[in-house]
Amino acid sequence: MRSRAAASILARAGFREVYSMEGGIRAWKGLAASGAPEAGMAHFPPDSPPSKLTALAWLLEKGTQKFYGEAASGLQDSGAARLFAELAAAEERHKGTLYRIHLEIAGAADDPQFPESVFPASAAPEYMEGGVEVAKALEWTRGKSPAEVLEFALALEVNAYDLHLKMEQRMADPRAKKMFARIADEEKEHLHRLQEHFIRVMTPG
Amino acid sequence: MGVLDYFRPVSTLPAEKIRAFLNEKKAGEYNLVDVRQPQEYESGHLPGARLIPVGELESRLKELDPHKPTIAY
Repeated sequence: MRSRAAASILARAGFREVYSMEGGIRAWKGLAASGAPEAGMAHFPPDSPPSKLTALAWLLEKGTQKFYGEAASGLQDSGAARLFAELAAAEERHKGTLYRIHLEIAGAADDPQFPESVFPASAAPEYMEGGVEVAKALEWTRGKSPAEVLEFALALEVNAYDLHLKMEQRMADPRAKKMFARIADEEKEHLHRLQEHFIRVMTPG
Repeated sequence: MGVLDYFRPVSTLPAEKIRAFLNEKKAGEYNLVDVRQPQEYESGHLPGARLIPVGELESRLKELDPHKPTIAY
């Protein structure tokens, strides 16, 4: 009912194409993100130049990649370990995309020092997408079942996708908008594969 | 919002159609609005949804691009 009222307000305000979702969120069978609207955004200060945002995003992808790589070696289940290796590879692709975006923004042919060229290396703990410290996430996985770790990974990926979509909306600079849009689109693609894989791994037999 | 807004005819789409729509669109090509309350949003929302509770919608229309297809739930 609320969504129908909302759709009608939007239509009346001149929005061209408006739909309300039948059955609301309860009818939604897809992946859902959780947390407050601004969750995770603290990692991307809104007044940062696009070059810095790109470097920050790259560092988070690197942290996430490290998590998947190290968590894979701790997983006894070979299906889950393979999936984590695939996720680590996906993060490597995201890093490649971000590096190319960095070159576009900088107008450079290459920059072997990236991301230090933009963001000097620090002794701060490594973070992964979602704002979790890599070391803490790895510690959490110890003693957990593969199913629990996979569930965590799926939640992590959905929330990263959610965050990057929202960053695209929030950014004013068109280069920053484009950067977050590209990362979000790549994430959407691999989320589908992850979900299918997840269902296979979780289905016994 | 007036009480009549509850009875105005609008297009509704089944969740499955919305999922297909979101799958084929790229980031930034649509508006996706969660019109529920903050605590409902926090416990689970569609990826990329903006939280604008229905009671605040009229005063926050500027946050949305009226030229993009818009989905409310």
